This record gives sequence, structure tokens and C-alpha cells, in this order.
Amino acid sequence: MAEFSPGLEGVVAAETAVSEVDGANGRLIYRGGYLIEDLVPITTYEEVAYLLWHGELPNEQELDALRQQMAGARKLKDSARKTLTGMEPSTDPMDVLRTVVSAQGASPSLTKPSLEEAVALTAVFPTIVGMAYRRRQGKEPVEPREDLGHAASLLWCLEGQEPDPQKAHLVDTYLVLLADHGLNASTFAARVVASTGSDLTSCVVGAIAALKGPAHGGATLAARNMLDKIGSAENAEKWLNEAHARHERFSGFGHRVYRTYDPRAKILREMAKTAAPELHRTAARTEEVALKILHDAHPDRPNATNVDFWASVVLTGAGIPKELFTTIFATSRVAGWTAHVLESLADLRLIRPASKWVGPQPGKKPAQLAKR
Amino acid sequence: MSTGNNAYVPGLEGIIGAQTAIAMVDGANGRLVYQGYVIADLAEEMSFEEVAFLLWEGDLPNHTELDGLTSELGANRDLTKAATTALDALPKDTDPMDVLRSIVSVQGVEHRLAKPTRPLAVHATASFPTILATFHRRQQGLEPIKPRPDLGHAANYLHMMNGKESSPEIVRALNTYLVLLADHGMNASTFTARVIASTESDLTSALVGAIGALKGPAHGGAPSAVIEQLEQIGTPENAERWMRDARKRGVRFMGFGHRVYRVYDPRAKILKAMCERMNPKFYALASAVEEMALTILHEEHPERPQSTNVEFYSAGVLQAIGLPKEFFTPTFATARVAGWSAHVLEQAAHNRIIRPQSEYIGPEPRKPVPLAERG
Repeated sequence: MAEFSPGLEGVVAAETAVSEVDGANGRLIYRGGYLIEDLVPITTYEEVAYLLWHGELPNEQELDALRQQMAGARKLKDSARKTLTGMEPSTDPMDVLRTVVSAQGASPSLTKPSLEEAVALTAVFPTIVGMAYRRRQGKEPVEPREDLGHAASLLWCLEGQEPDPQKAHLVDTYLVLLADHGLNASTFAARVVASTGSDLTSCVVGAIAALKGPAHGGATLAARNMLDKIGSAENAEKWLNEAHARHERFSGFGHRVYRTYDPRAKILREMAKTAAPELHRTAARTEEVALKILHDAHPDRPNATNVDFWASVVLTGAGIPKELFTTIFATSRVAGWTAHVLESLADLRLIRPASKWVGPQPGKKPAQLAKR
Repeated sequence: MSTGNNAYVPGLEGIIGAQTAIAMVDGANGRLVYQGYVIADLAEEMSFEEVAFLLWEGDLPNHTELDGLTSELGANRDLTKAATTALDALPKDTDPMDVLRSIVSVQGVEHRLAKPTRPLAVHATASFPTILATFHRRQQGLEPIKPRPDLGHAANYLHMMNGKESSPEIVRALNTYLVLLADHGMNASTFTARVIASTESDLTSALVGAIGALKGPAHGGAPSAVIEQLEQIGTPENAERWMRDARKRGVRFMGFGHRVYRVYDPRAKILKAMCERMNPKFYALASAVEEMALTILHEEHPERPQSTNVEFYSAGVLQAIGLPKEFFTPTFATARVAGWSAHVLEQAAHNRIIRPQSEYIGPEPRKPVPLAERG
């Protein structure tokens, strides 16, 4: 048996055509062979979701059909709605999402994951996130509208007013960029759940659960929190040097896969200039100083600004409250999760690794309770 | 396009996914070991509470520790208001595994991310029987029964399901089942829990993911299928004809096959003996079916080891205990939550994010066509 590789680093756990992270060349390739930077200028989130599910971009007719299908699946079931409103308004939005997706997808009998379910689950995320947020704010929920695209619908559900087209565009681009990323921890969790023959909701709920972790989806909020602490471009150098001296990790830096600049971060960095000029100034200076400190400390390591760093700036510019960052990440990634699950059905095999025993030698005899 | 130097291993078979000191499946010798103790030495001697303590803490509790855990479990059996609301809102015909997944999720919601701890593991473990029994009573149109803090874990579960106390023999049988199923090394649901925990997510998230994985028929979702197949076979005399015929139609025998054991699963051995004692009618049919299944499977694949798995005789034991078959897999979860949470605590103590690679099998990079130009 092979040596234990902590975190399964370097272990190939799946074959996939959904996406490929080409870390050496700084490329993210979506299904069909398209580079992320080629898709961003010409596609909406719905087109990219279609691409991940079907393997090809939709034509106008196919896209219309998908939009209609999604718009028609935005409403919560009565049981899911009651579950949502039964929770305290201050509940962590990721916990609301995990629970309400579970309730929305609850069914009388086991069903095999289907494309139709993937579309329905994807469509309902903005409704849940919007309701969770408005309850936090003490506001009445708004009903989802059928006439809006996915990104605009998300803003509508949050704000309850006509979405600003520029902000909707920022959100849409973010959703396109984050829709898939190879075999990250949440996608892997979804594939492990799928491998038992379980249903699609169970896979997606498991993926939400994994994305919640600060080492995964929670990193965007952490990056924004760090920028908030730094406060201004002028304060960046002093703050980062002090943090480094305290051995604090810089949020928004470091990635296991990319050896060059993350192509998504590159696009978001450019967008951030106009999306959030003030925060961009702080972030740009922070990046410059952080990379220098990191390079001085570890000259052998590659350039390491990650997607979370610049995503936090762009989402801020789009008017997304930071406590929702992880849920918006999930709102994007659900397309990828479901695409991976559907792909895995073609050759389903139980994912059941071995473990290495590091406990006591077997055969110890238990003592009776009275003698312990 | 190369993503690494290693070859893809389907199902990660033989790949080490984690280091653990909680349970070891010694497939070659047919041993299941919890923290050094062989399952046969624990199964009919220890309470579920003692074994849960063992899995969480690394050794069996003394009197004071056991009393502490027993009262902690007893004190945490009530559902939150939000969980009760959600449970009432789910349709009565919902799959009990979907109920469990949803209500464990709402019962464990937090306002601020908390690290997994043993008290949180105790709270979650305590809540499973309440969730299942409350839903079962609703399905029956009956009032839910309040949890009894003075009863042990197994006794309380049955009390809440049935509205009355069960005989000591029945309680002991459920207890043994819970002990036997409490952990089993790196199975798919436990691995799911560890993957989720590896992102520094919370304990509830890890458990909810694990429930989702256990639901799959290739993992925990098959014990009710054992009953259904036995019902179709009907009588021991009919076994050979039905089964040979079923094989021709490509039907799988339910309750057979395991990736790890090369000899008889030690849990199945204990459950088989319990079945013989408690459920003679089931046993008469099941043992005939087992014999025939092993004969046919051996004829087809003489190189493969004998392979009755834990689900086969679990079905008969759970039936004798009086649980409805839709509650077999959720009861499996009620046992395994002890193991899942122990693994999450272990993962959190020595964490590294679990992020394997994938091998890209799609087309080489090419340019996308704008919407208006797509055919």
C-alpha cells in the first residue's frame, strides 16, 4: 500500500471533464475545453451552468429553455419555507442554506440524480440566501421574480428593489468565475456522497457543509475581514509587517494548485478597479506588500494571491454584505457540484479509501466497569 | 494534460485516506477493533454509552465518567424550537433519512462557527433518537413521546418510538446493534465527515454530510432491501429456484459483498446468533438464503472470499426489535454518529485539508463561440 499522503495531496481521486485546473500554466479550463478568460466576456452564469451540465454551450433556444426552467424553480416548497422561518434570524447563513436545501430536496423515496434536479437546486439558492439575509435584517422576504436572470434575481431577493445592471453584471461574472474548480474539497465531498448511490440533494448538502469551512469557502470573508482591519492603503505595510511578526497568516494568499497568478484573481483584480475603487486601493497596496513579505520569507514559493482576495473586493463593489460571501460562493459552485455528480454516475464506484492504523495493538481485553 | 504523476485509482481503493486510532478493520483476520478492543469483547458486554466514550476519549469510562456521559446524553435529548418546527413541516411521507439529514442540520445550527468538541458530539448523538421517534409518531398520527432522561440510549429510543418501555432483552439487542455499528474505519460516510471537517467546518456540517452518504444503497441504504428480497423469496424451499432464476436476470443478492473482509464479518457473526435466538422465522429463511447465495456466488467467482455482510442479519435483528424497515438505515446512523463525531474530532486535532487531484479527460483548450453564432 502506498504511503499516507496527508490531505490526499497528489492523489488522483477522479477522472473529470467538468473542469481542469492547470496550475503550472495558471489556466482554469471549463468543460468543453474553454479557458475561463475566454468565457467571461461572452457568457452569463446560465450559459456556463449549461456548459458544465451538458458539455457544450447552449444556443439561443436552449438558453431560453434553461432560463425558463430556472425561473420556474425559484420558489420554496412550503416545508422548506417553514423550516427557514422557524430558524432564528441570526443563524449563520451557511447553516440556513444547508438546512433549507436539505428540506427543499427531501422526498419520499430515493431518486437518482438528474439534470432536472440539478437545475431546480441551482435555481433555488438565491431565494434561500435572499430570505436568510432579509430575516437577518428584520425585513420581510420578497418573492423571487421570473423575469430576471440568475444574477439579477439574486440581487432582487437580497435587496427587494430593481437590480442595478452594473452590479448584476459584477455578480454574474463572479458566478461564472467560481462555478467550478476541479476537485476541491466540497466537490470531492459531493462525489464521495454520490459514490454511495445517494441522491443529489444529499450530495449538494454535503458540499455546502464542506464549503462552510474557513479553509475552503470561508476564505473570501476572511480576506475581506483582513482588508477591513488594514483599513487603508497607507496602513497596509505597517499592519502586514506586524501581522507577519506575530506569525499570522495573510488571508487571500496561498493556493495548493496554482504556481502562477490565479486566472480568476486576475480577472477580478481588473474588475475591482471600477467596482470598488476605494477598497481596490487598499487591496492593491495590501497585495503588493503581502507578496513582498511572503517572497522574502519563502523565496522558493510561487506568487500566491488567490481568488478569495479579489473576490472579496468585487463582491463588496456589487453590494453583497460580507456575511453572505460564502453563500454566494455556494450559489455559484452548485452548478459545478451537480455537474460532477451527474458525471460520476456514468461509472459509479464507491469511494472508500483505506486508513492507516495508529492506535493500540488489537486484542486488549476490556476491564469490567467496576475495575476501571 | 497531466495533473500529477500518480495514476487514477477508482474508488481510492487501497489509498490511505487518513490515519486513525479509532477503529481498525482487520479484513484478513475478520476482526473489527475499536481503540484496541476486539468487537467480540465489547458487543454484548458494553453499553452504547461506554463504547461512544471509548471512541471519543480513547478508553473505556470509569463509573464517574460513565455517569457523567449518561446524564449529559439524557439532558440533551430535546429538540430545539426551530428543529421541532421543521420536523412538523416536512411531509409525512418523507424518507426518514431525509428527515434526519434536515433535522440534524437545523438542530445544530449556530450563529458563529464553533470548533468540533466532545460536548457537541454528545449533543448530536443524543438528538438522533428524538428526531426519528418524533417523526415516526407523526407518521402514525400519534403524539410524540417526550424523551426520558432516566433511560439509557437504546431504551429511550425504543420508548420514544413505541410509547412504552421495551423488554430488557429487546433493549439489550438494540444496544448490541448500536455497539456493533458504532464505527467501521474509513467507510464512505466517515470519510465524507472527515473531508468536511478538513475544511475547518463545524461538527453538524460533517454529520449532515455523513448522513447524506449513508443514505446511498451502496453504503447504509440496503438493509431494508434485504427484507424486501427475503419477502420475495418467501420460503426456504423456494430459495434455490428463486435465486438461480434471479441471477439469470442479473439481480444482485442483497446483504452480500464487502470490499474489506476476506473472512466472515465479525459483526455479521454476532448478529446471526442474535437472529437465531430472537427471530427464528427470519432466521430459518435467511440462513437458507445465505447458504444458497454463498453457494451460487462461489460457483460464479470461486476466487472471491465468503461475503455475508453486516446488513444481512442486521435486518432480522432490527425486525425482531420491532423497528419499521424504513427506520433501519436511520438506526444505523444513530449508531454511527458516535464514530463519525469521533473521526471529526480526530481529524480536527491533526488537520490538513483533504483535496485530492483529478485527471482531466476533456478536450484540449479551444475558443468559445458567442451566443448569436451558436448553431
